[in-house]
Amino acid sequence: MRRTHIAALAVPLTVSLALTACGGGPTSAGGKLSGNKIVLAVLNDQSGVYADVSGKNSVEAVKMAVEDFKAKYGAKAVTKDIEVVSADHQNKPDVANSKAQELYDRQGADAIFDVPTSSAALAVATVAAQKKKLYFNITGATTDLTGKSCNKYTYHYAYDSYMLAHGTGTTVTEQGGKNWYIVYPDYAFGQDMQKQFGTAITAAGGSVAAKDPTPFPNDNFSTFLLKAPNLNPKPDVLGAMQAGGDLINLVKQYNEFKLRDKGIKLSVGLMFITDIHSLGPDAFAGTDFTDAWYWNMDQRARAWADKFYQRTHVRPSFANAANYSAAMQYLEAVQRAGTDASDAVTKQLDGHSFDDVFARNAKIRGEDHRVIHDVYLAEVKPSSEVKEDWDYEKILKTIPADQAFRPVADSAAAGCHLG
Amino acid sequence: MLQIRELSAWYGEAQVLREVTLDVPAGEVVTLVGRNGAGKTTLLRCVMGLHRHQRGYVGYLGGDLGGTPAHRRAAAGIGWVPDDRGIYASLTVEENLTMPRAGGENAWPLSRVYEAFPVLKERRRFPGTRLSGGEQQMLALARVLRTGARLLLCDEPTEGLSPLLVGQIGSILRAVKEHGVTVLLIEQNLHFATTVADRHYLIAEGRVVDSLDNSEVKRREHELLAYLGM
Amino acid sequence: MANFVQQCFNGLVSGAFLALLALGLSVIFGMLGVVNFAHGAFYMLGAFGAYVLLTNAGVNFWLALAAVPVALAVFGCLLERAFIHRLAALDPLYNFLLTFGIALVLQDLVKREYGVTSRPYPPPAELNHPIDLGLFNYPGYQVFVLAASAAACAAVWYLLTRTRVGVVVRAATERPELTRALGINVGAWVTPVFGFGAGLAGLAGVLAAPMRAVNPLMGADLIITVFAVVVIGGLGSIVGSVVAGFGIGVATALCNLYVPALSQTLVFVFMAAVLLWRPAGLFGREEARV
Repeated sequence: MRRTHIAALAVPLTVSLALTACGGGPTSAGGKLSGNKIVLAVLNDQSGVYADVSGKNSVEAVKMAVEDFKAKYGAKAVTKDIEVVSADHQNKPDVANSKAQELYDRQGADAIFDVPTSSAALAVATVAAQKKKLYFNITGATTDLTGKSCNKYTYHYAYDSYMLAHGTGTTVTEQGGKNWYIVYPDYAFGQDMQKQFGTAITAAGGSVAAKDPTPFPNDNFSTFLLKAPNLNPKPDVLGAMQAGGDLINLVKQYNEFKLRDKGIKLSVGLMFITDIHSLGPDAFAGTDFTDAWYWNMDQRARAWADKFYQRTHVRPSFANAANYSAAMQYLEAVQRAGTDASDAVTKQLDGHSFDDVFARNAKIRGEDHRVIHDVYLAEVKPSSEVKEDWDYEKILKTIPADQAFRPVADSAAAGCHLG
Repeated sequence: MLQIRELSAWYGEAQVLREVTLDVPAGEVVTLVGRNGAGKTTLLRCVMGLHRHQRGYVGYLGGDLGGTPAHRRAAAGIGWVPDDRGIYASLTVEENLTMPRAGGENAWPLSRVYEAFPVLKERRRFPGTRLSGGEQQMLALARVLRTGARLLLCDEPTEGLSPLLVGQIGSILRAVKEHGVTVLLIEQNLHFATTVADRHYLIAEGRVVDSLDNSEVKRREHELLAYLGM
Repeated sequence: MANFVQQCFNGLVSGAFLALLALGLSVIFGMLGVVNFAHGAFYMLGAFGAYVLLTNAGVNFWLALAAVPVALAVFGCLLERAFIHRLAALDPLYNFLLTFGIALVLQDLVKREYGVTSRPYPPPAELNHPIDLGLFNYPGYQVFVLAASAAACAAVWYLLTRTRVGVVVRAATERPELTRALGINVGAWVTPVFGFGAGLAGLAGVLAAPMRAVNPLMGADLIITVFAVVVIGGLGSIVGSVVAGFGIGVATALCNLYVPALSQTLVFVFMAAVLLWRPAGLFGREEARV
C-alpha cells in the first residue's frame, strides 16, 4: 500500500520536474534609480522551451543596443551609466510577477523587455501599470496586451497572434489553400490562434474544414494526421498552431505520414528560426509562415546579424533583433526626453515613427501601444537551396506595417482606450 | 543451536522487544506463545536478519550472527516460513520450490519433496498463490526443507487452517524434527503446540515472562488460555 | 472500421514507448522499492546518444540501436553503484529524492551542452516509406518501432519467465525481503537490474529519436504518463506494465478521436479509478509489509 502511494505521489512531483527550470537569479547587483543611471531588465525564459528562441541571447542583444547607443551619442548621451540586468521567469506567471516587482523595485529597472508566454506577459503588464514603469513585450503572442489588458506603460513590440494569423492565413488562402484543417494545442495561445486563423481564412474566401484541439504536451499526432486526408472536403492545408517540442513532434510525424505527397501542405502558426534549425530545413521545406524579421532578408539585417554572430555564434531570431530594437528605441526616447521618468518617456514614444534594423516603416501607435512594422511571409527552403548555416528562409512577400497588424478600431473594440 | 541474549528491538520510537533471552537447543521444537503484538514475529525477523533496529546478541551454532545479512543466514541453514506463508504469486509452485539456493546434506532433493507432498507435484505448474491455504503452508515448509535448513523459523503455520490440515502440519513438523531439524515456532494453538513442541516460551509485551514444558502447559491450560484471550 | 483499426494502431505505437519505459521502471521499483525519477532522463539520454553518435561520429541508426542501450545499461550500473546503492539501507524516500536530483542534473547538463530546442534525427532510409498493412498504409518507421518494442517486451518476458535469472528477479521484485531470507543476495542483483532498466529506457530513447522531438525535456514530459501507467499496471508487476502501457496508448489514441478534450487527463482518470478500486494496480498484489 505504502509503495503504491509513493508511486502515486511521484506523478504530481514529476509534473514539477517537467516544469522546473533551473532558476538563474538576476545576474548583477541592483542599483538605485537615479537620473544618472538607466537600468534595462530582460525578463525571459533562460532554461525552458523558449530559452533558445530568446533567452540569454536577447540579453546579449540588449547589451549590443546599449553599446551602439553610447557609440552614437558619445559625450552627448543622457548618461553613460546604463546597466543591463536579467532574470529567468521560467514561463510561469507567478514567477514573472514576483521577478518583475523585484526588477522594478530592488534592481531599479526603468524598463523590462521580452517576457515570452502569454500568461506571464500579461502578469508583467499588470505590474508595469502598478509601478508606472515601462514594459516592452517582445515574445508574448496575445493580442490582449493591446486589448483588454493594455495600459499606459506597456508596449507590444514584435508580433502577435493577429499578425501571424492574418499574415499566414490570408496569404496562404489567397494562394489557393482554400480548405484548412487546423490542429491547435488546447490552451490559451492555441485557442486564440485557432480563432484568429479561422477569421482570417474565412475573410480571404477559404474555409476551415475541421479543427481539433490536441493534448499538450503531446508526442503522438498520428490520430490527427491520419484523419486529415479522410476529411470531407479534403483539406489543402494543415494549419499547425503548436510550438516548441510539440511542433517538432508534429512535423516529424507529418513527414512520416507523407501528407505533403497527399496534397496537404503544412502551414505553421508560430515558427522561430530555431525550430527550422532543430529539424533541418528539409523537414519543413515548402512550409509557409509569417516572420516578424529574418536575419538574411537584406544587407542591413545581415550586417547586424554578423555582429550578433561574433558574440553568440548563432544567427539571431526575430526575438533577439526585436529586443535590440526595443532597447534602442527606449534609449532614444530617454535621450529625447532628457529623463527616464516614465511619463516623459511615453510622451516621446507614443506616435513616434522610425525605421531600424528590425522594425521597418515602423510606428508606435499611441492609441493601443501596438508597435507596427513591416512583416514577411516566408517559406522554408529545401536544403538544396541552403547556402550557409541558418540560411533557411525565402521571403515571399512583405506585408506592409499598416496591413499586418490589428486595426486601432479593433483594439478599441477589444477594450483598449489609451487615447 | 540458537541463543538469544538481551535482545531489544524497535519500530521507530516504539520498543517491541525488551531484553529477550532464550535458548533453542539443537533438535528441539520450541514455541513462542503470546498475544498478537507481543513481539513474536519481530523476534523471528531479528533471528533472520530482517529487522534493522535491534540491539543484543543472537548466536547460532556457537557464532555471533550480528551483522550477518539475511541471505548468509539462510545459507548457514536458517529457514524462514513467514506468517503469510510467503508464496510468490508470480512464480509457479515448482519455481517457488527451486528459487532458493539449496545446499548441505540436509537439503531435500525435489524428488523427495514431491514424494512427501504429492499435491505439490500435481500442481507444480500452477502459480503459487493458486494453491489452497493448507497447500501453500506445505509449499512454504517444503521450500525451506529443500534448502537444507537446520533451524526452521515458523510463524503461525496453523493459522486459519482446518483441524485436518492442522494435523497434517503437525505430522510434517514431527517428521522434520525426526530428521534432526530444530524448529522455533510461533503458535497460538496451545493444544497443537503441546503435540509438536518440547518447550514453550510465554511472551508478553516484548518480554519472556515464562518458560514452560508440555506438562506445565497442560496443567495451566485454563490460565494460559485466559491469558492469551481465548 | 479501418479508421478505428488505424487509431488502435497509433495507440499501439505510442504504447510501445510507454510499455518499454514502464517495464524498466517497474522492475527497478520492484527490486529497490524506489520510484526511479531518473528514468525519463535515461530515455532522453538514449535519444541524445543516438543523435551524438550520428552527428559526431557518423554512426547510423542501426548501430546506435545496439550500442546506446548497452552504454545506458553500463551508465545505470555505475550510477547505482556510486549513488543509489549507498542509500539503499535508508527509507526509500531518500533514493526517491536522489533520483529526482539525478534527473535534474542530467537534464541540465544536456541543456547546457545542446540547448533546449530539438535536435534533428532522420528516420533510417530503409524505413522512410509507407508500408501496406492491408487495411491501410502506415509509416514504415512506426511499424518498425511497434515491432521492435514488441520484440523487446517478448525477449524480456522470455528472460523473466523461462530462465533461472528470471525466477530470481521475479521473486526479488515481488518480495525482496523474503527473497533475501531465502538465501538470495538481492543487493547483488540490484545493480544489474537497475542497469537493465536503464538500458530499456535507452532503447526507447533511440527508437524515439527519429519520430519525436529530441530535446532535454523529452523525458520529463513523458515520464509523468509512464508513472501513471506503472501505477495502473500494478507496481512491480511486469505483465501489468506492458499491458497497461499498450492499453493506455490505445485508449488515449481512441480518446483523441472521439473525446479529444479528455485525452490528456484520461490516463490520470484511469489511475485514480484504479487506485480507488484496486490500490495495488490491475496486475499488482497487496503486499503485507511489516
